Amino acid sequence: MDQEHAERFVQLMAEFERPMRRLCAVYADRTVDRDDLFQEIFLAVWRALPAFRGDASPRTWLYRIAHNVALTRQARQRRRDAQEGPLSERAGPEGEWDLRRLALKRAIARLPPGDRTLVLLWLEGLSAAEIEDVTGIRAATVAVRLSRIRKALQPNEVTP
Amino acid sequence: MSEDTYTLQTLWMSETARSHDSVRTAVDRVLDRDRADQRRERRLRMAGAAAILSLVPVLIWAAAYGISPLVRVAYALMAMGCVAGVVAEWLYLAWSRRALPGPGDTRSQLQRTAFMLESQVWLTRTAAIWSSPVFIGLMLICLWMYRERTAAGALTIGVLGAIAWVGTGVASVRTAAELGRRRRRLDEALADL
Repeated sequence: MDQEHAERFVQLMAEFERPMRRLCAVYADRTVDRDDLFQEIFLAVWRALPAFRGDASPRTWLYRIAHNVALTRQARQRRRDAQEGPLSERAGPEGEWDLRRLALKRAIARLPPGDRTLVLLWLEGLSAAEIEDVTGIRAATVAVRLSRIRKALQPNEVTP
Repeated sequence: MSEDTYTLQTLWMSETARSHDSVRTAVDRVLDRDRADQRRERRLRMAGAAAILSLVPVLIWAAAYGISPLVRVAYALMAMGCVAGVVAEWLYLAWSRRALPGPGDTRSQLQRTAFMLESQVWLTRTAAIWSSPVFIGLMLICLWMYRERTAAGALTIGVLGAIAWVGTGVASVRTAAELGRRRRRLDEALADL
């Protein structure tokens, strides 16, 4: 195993572990599926890393892989009805704030795949230009669509 | 940035759930999985190579020195069918690898994966056709047995061969249908982008 390759990989995983886990939480409902998706994403990162020459920023490069893996995996799985329990049963110690976050995740999970991808990237703080780089959708279109999606996800709309 | 926008992003970023694993453990798991995948693929390739190296020379020898022209044609067909099967397996693996998600933009990636899936659907759906030389060869052997040896033996091998052929066809149609469903889901995602 190439030492430099391994070091870059560990660095990327340490830096992007939390954003990737947030993404997995939207694409997979069960803990075991989330862990599996997380592994699949970083497996793809590991395999693509030797060819990464720094043409894109590591962040957009990694988000491309992550969304590609998540969308491909979703197509591979048989469609199943979401088993959504009451939000209050899944709230953590932070109570209200946890419930709102759960409601937001569910609202995002219900969006069509394209909108979901856009809003996840936006929530992670990517600009319209960066989202264009990740998805291939023009920045102007991204801005228009995000404006529409944001209205549907207003905090009032995602309160439990 | 509006207050609502700020609230949504703050809410999203406030997620504190982390895995109990350390980064080192997570890295090790990914690398273990990579090694396991590589081992599995190597095994499949070796099985294909072993089939070619062991079975095909025997079949070719039988095609050259078989007891009658009918038997020679039968073994030649079976050799062709075996080679076609191994080539199909290798193609399927190669397309699966090319369909794996990489660092391309989402739209291009989904298009490429959908294209590879379509190729796999075609290959799988036609399995009963490209594997047919094996079964036709088997049927010719049955015909020879019926003429020259016993009808019961010919019937037994013929029925087993027919079941295997139909089974191949049914399994391939089912697999192609599943791949086709996957492709349609990708198309839906693509249409939504």
